[in-house]
Amino acid sequence: MRIPCPYCGERDVQEFVYRGDASPVRPLGEDGFYEYVYLRRNSAGVMREHWYHAQGCRNWIEVQRNTQTHEILGSVFARRVAL
Amino acid sequence: MAKGLEISECQRFGLATVMLRKNANHAAVGAALQVAAPADPTWVASNELTMIGTGPGMWLALTETPSQHWSATLAERLAGVASVSDQSGGYVIFRIAGSSARTLLQRGAFIDLTPPAFGAGSVATTVIAHIGVIIWQIDDVPTFHVALFRSFAGSFREWLDTASVNLTF
Ligand SMILES: [Zn+2]
Repeated sequence: MRIPCPYCGERDVQEFVYRGDASPVRPLGEDGFYEYVYLRRNSAGVMREHWYHAQGCRNWIEVQRNTQTHEILGSVFARRVAL
Repeated sequence: MAKGLEISECQRFGLATVMLRKNANHAAVGAALQVAAPADPTWVASNELTMIGTGPGMWLALTETPSQHWSATLAERLAGVASVSDQSGGYVIFRIAGSSARTLLQRGAFIDLTPPAFGAGSVATTVIAHIGVIIWQIDDVPTFHVALFRSFAGSFREWLDTASVNLTF
């Protein structure tokens, strides 16, 4: 599988570290913290996920990927989403 | 050394990482250094300074004519714009040139090194033989420069020698 990095271009998946679902948002207080840390949907289909380009530009990126087909629909820098 | 392939180690250079500060933009780096620091994985050289793109807001600054206080001067010029960290002793730079240079590197790199995907002016931060490398192409000979952590120099040199054994020229 190849992951498109917004800076480096298409790279072999071995260059990346997988972090998982990008959709959980850190809650401001204690409420919802357990869910934020531990609970995941295990989606079948398109999901947004965090990947770290460890052996390239060393940036966190957010990739849209279909977990059933491995089709990749696009990627952006994770910080672009966070800002 | 076989014809069509020349491998040497750059002996004298100054190398530093340059990382953009949070609220600065990369045009300010260019203005401070009088080298248009590239926003993509390419390199630009001017005034004996080469700026090599390694990530968004990240560069390697390279000079082959380093003065004693080279990186401190660089940091002064970039004050408030970018952080500078001297890496001159931390990296080795291999120069790999000749008609077989691309074939040799392609045996180790997962990325396409043939034009138009990669050519003179291109930069790639990637991995060869499990060793993190920064590759940039100098000219169409082709000549490549490969920078890596100095402690991996022996292992990388071994890989180069092994991978180039049956190259035909
Ligand atoms: Zn990257």
